[in-house]
Amino acid sequence: MTLKLGRHTFADGATLMMAIVNRTPDSFYDKGATWAEDAAFARVATVVEQGAEIVDIGGIKAAPGVEISPAEEKARVVDFVARVREAYPALVISVDTWRAEVGAAVCEAGADVLNDAWGGADPELVDVAASYDVGIICTHTGGVTPRTRPYRIDYDDVVAAAIGDTVHYAERALAAGVARESIVIDPAHDFGKNTFHSLEITRRIGEMVDTGWPVLVSLSNKDFVGETLDLPVGERLIGTLAATSVCALAGARIYRVHEVVETRQVVDMVWSIAGRRPPQRAIRGLQ
Amino acid sequence: MIVLVPGVPALLPSYASLDDPVADLRAACAAAVATLGPQVRVIAASAPAEKVARHLLATAGLEVVDDASDILVVGNGSAMRTEKAPGHFDERAEGFDDALRAALVAPDPAALASLDPALADALWADVAGIGAAAGLLTSELTAEVGYDAAPYGVQYWVIRWL
Repeated sequence: MTLKLGRHTFADGATLMMAIVNRTPDSFYDKGATWAEDAAFARVATVVEQGAEIVDIGGIKAAPGVEISPAEEKARVVDFVARVREAYPALVISVDTWRAEVGAAVCEAGADVLNDAWGGADPELVDVAASYDVGIICTHTGGVTPRTRPYRIDYDDVVAAAIGDTVHYAERALAAGVARESIVIDPAHDFGKNTFHSLEITRRIGEMVDTGWPVLVSLSNKDFVGETLDLPVGERLIGTLAATSVCALAGARIYRVHEVVETRQVVDMVWSIAGRRPPQRAIRGLQ
Repeated sequence: MIVLVPGVPALLPSYASLDDPVADLRAACAAAVATLGPQVRVIAASAPAEKVARHLLATAGLEVVDDASDILVVGNGSAMRTEKAPGHFDERAEGFDDALRAALVAPDPAALASLDPALADALWADVAGIGAAAGLLTSELTAEVGYDAAPYGVQYWVIRWL
């Protein structure tokens, strides 16, 4: 399906790199490396140079921690979105927030996508997406409260739950007036899931693709990779890329990543193996 | 009208890349083939050569007809022009291609009909179609060369005879 993300459209079958840009002092991977606004802006410049089509700007780390008020979250992201918008008119700007109030403010500042990593915790977020004609990422969290860790969560079938919840969310967004081609579903690896759940979601991601809604996967350096390989943050790239290749073969469209270059290579390679993308330049044996 | 193109599989849509490695050759083939028709006879000596001919003609909206007066010949020179050529380097390749070029451009039907098949085989040159068309390339025709290069160690020509 053609994707329309705010001001930008992408052809059917195009894959997109969504680079993570944290305006946080405490996110798990970069540990505040881009907390300063200029550092975050430099990160945007780097990932644009690396070919990312989307930046996903977040003002609150996913894990539990100091409560961040809506006012503080806005202070972290709104002006920054405006600055990125002005500097990079062709870039898709996504903002990682579950709050409608923050969503409206960043849309005013030029955001194209609201990435609701917490699965519709604020029911009004879809109305904001509709009124600003921006994209929305509908994630599955198993109904957990934002910024809580999964604890003894049980599913009869985690994939069925992820499909049921994300498709329901997508239909709710559609009913609220969000354009069909602006709605994306995301199983949200590790959100409301233990490692076994995230592995099963990865193994069966094709079932989500089969719903017809474009699928985003957020795998980058997550704990399910770390626990599977018994590796700390900082040593999970290869495991991340292995999971990425499985999702790419199944047809996931958007990849939320820390490492743009490596992920782009993996996705292009797998997309070509799947027969969805020609080689960049093949002449061997064909002269 | 007679046109010669090389039977390069990279010209086929099933082998298309995002960045066309034979863009110039493709353009030259299209320009020459566009002057044929609407019915064209194909003289090609291998399955890939036949496929390339049919693709070029279909792209130009032309029909393959066995007794048409316009002819598309498929063939090329040696495939051993460089170390990285498909058949590796052979020092005889350049001389072979020079002689073949001279006979094509003249054109010299006697020379084209008497190409050394053993040497052509040894140099991986696709000249069977050219040999089969030799009798048609009479000396009163004028050759117009649209492409003459060996970008991947294989000698290609696009030639139109008027």
